[in-house]
Amino acid sequence: MSSTNVAFVPALVSSNEDLGADCRLVRLAVPEELDASAVQPGQFVMVRGPWARHPVLPRAFSVLDTAPDQLELLVKVVGRGTRLIAGLGRGAPVTVLGPLGRPFPPPTPGVRDLLAGGGSGIPPLVLHALRAPAGTAVEVLYGGRSAADLVLAERITAAGLSLHRCTEDGSAGLKGRVTELLEARLDDPGAHRVLACGPTPMLKAVVALCRSRGVACWLSLETEMACGIGICRGCSVAHPAGGWRCTCTDGPVFEAGEVVL
Amino acid sequence: MSVDLSMNLCGVRFDTPVLSASGTFGYGLEASAVVDPAVLGAVVTKGISSQPRRGNPPPRICETAAGMLNSIGLENPGVERFAVEKMPPLREAGATVVANFFGDDEEDYVACATALDEIDGVAALELNISCPNVAHGGMRYGTDPALAGRLVRLCRAVTTKPLWAKLTPNVTDIVSVARACVEAGADALSLINTLSGIGIDVRTRRPRLGNVFGGLSGPAIKPVALRMVHQVYTADLGAPLVGIGGITTGEDALEFIIAGASLVQVGTATFSEPTAMVRITAELRHWCHELGVERVADLVGTLEI
Repeated sequence: MSSTNVAFVPALVSSNEDLGADCRLVRLAVPEELDASAVQPGQFVMVRGPWARHPVLPRAFSVLDTAPDQLELLVKVVGRGTRLIAGLGRGAPVTVLGPLGRPFPPPTPGVRDLLAGGGSGIPPLVLHALRAPAGTAVEVLYGGRSAADLVLAERITAAGLSLHRCTEDGSAGLKGRVTELLEARLDDPGAHRVLACGPTPMLKAVVALCRSRGVACWLSLETEMACGIGICRGCSVAHPAGGWRCTCTDGPVFEAGEVVL
Repeated sequence: MSVDLSMNLCGVRFDTPVLSASGTFGYGLEASAVVDPAVLGAVVTKGISSQPRRGNPPPRICETAAGMLNSIGLENPGVERFAVEKMPPLREAGATVVANFFGDDEEDYVACATALDEIDGVAALELNISCPNVAHGGMRYGTDPALAGRLVRLCRAVTTKPLWAKLTPNVTDIVSVARACVEAGADALSLINTLSGIGIDVRTRRPRLGNVFGGLSGPAIKPVALRMVHQVYTADLGAPLVGIGGITTGEDALEFIIAGASLVQVGTATFSEPTAMVRITAELRHWCHELGVERVADLVGTLEI
């Protein structure tokens, strides 16, 4: 287990922007104890709002981007907890625990990182791309049901990153799934590595494709999570050799062969 | 005015009455960067069995109104690894350790109790006859006074350490199980474990937990837990009580103490705030000041009806 600071620190919502598709871009002003600059792509934070007992648990968010004393999160409303967090206005107090978990491996010169993101799984991949050092190659492959789901597409292109889009209804980019985009990119010559985050069916398809092509693949997983620090054993995922791995402390980033989806 | 938060229970001194609840604070070391296990009344360990256990398939938790369901399934490394890997650092940290344990059957329970009895630094054993999440996780013992008494007697015979029995609320009459345990030699009773429940995802029409059934914990169960502590306390069985169920604040802890608990355990609150037990202890001290009470022990069972 990494030696993490496991105390929540107080923070404030500094902005909250509607991105459509039940998604908000929430920026948090965080104190120095939570060293925002130390967040590595793929790591997450646990966020609690100003409510005591319902929901009782914090919510986990992969970090989308950082600035000095600031964290940027994509909050997709999926239930009561995320709805409450999405509804917090500028100045609202929250508490934040993190950064937590194992990050993505950093980009390697000579290997092209293909970042396959489905829907709200895109944030850790964006941070990976933003932090990629000069001389390394990264491409973002971003899939959703329709154009409206690709809430960070503009931001990704505005940052000067290479973006390939796909939608199931064809309203933006290639009509089809992110695996189809990925397959096309893997046909390009040169060495590739795939980093993926998104719904489980998508991750399964990505892993199958990477296996068939012999391409290294890393996944950022999302599970229900209570503590975020390895105590509750609630976020277990199966390991192929038997036993479990905790998404929070062993992941959330796993090499594809480390987990059974 | 200085406030004395210490409690003596079956010959063991607890510096404060605030303990971790089994399964919610690992083995007391995972969060040691922010919670020194020695400042807690005691670390009650995650459930230990004679052999390692794998636990239940995911999903293992889901949130509910003011609470959560879990079906971890008593995943643990087994008593041997507990002794070798977990106890030395706990001893070194100066923590008071209560070892929670369970078994598949009577023989297995007894084997685990026997092994724990020999471990230096284990202050007391907490017999789990109340886990709702595994087929043989003890709840069948905890719901039958005769079986509960028999199991307590068997474990009692193999340990000289204080033996606490942790009771399930999933019974019609908590007092009859409590009485059977005390008559069989339990030194103290911990109550309550989680309430059995399920959650359903309406989109998939599937259970929210891989194990279908889970245990409900958190503030949602506090009134039930308080009621049971009150019932068992007023039954005057002659064994001290350890109150558990949704304790999130010092005020919650004090409610349990007034209802009759000598010690309390904090569980789900730790998940959302690893330092919750430290805060709750401070709040409890503050309450004693406010109430003009010098010894928290003087408040045990002072409910006025």
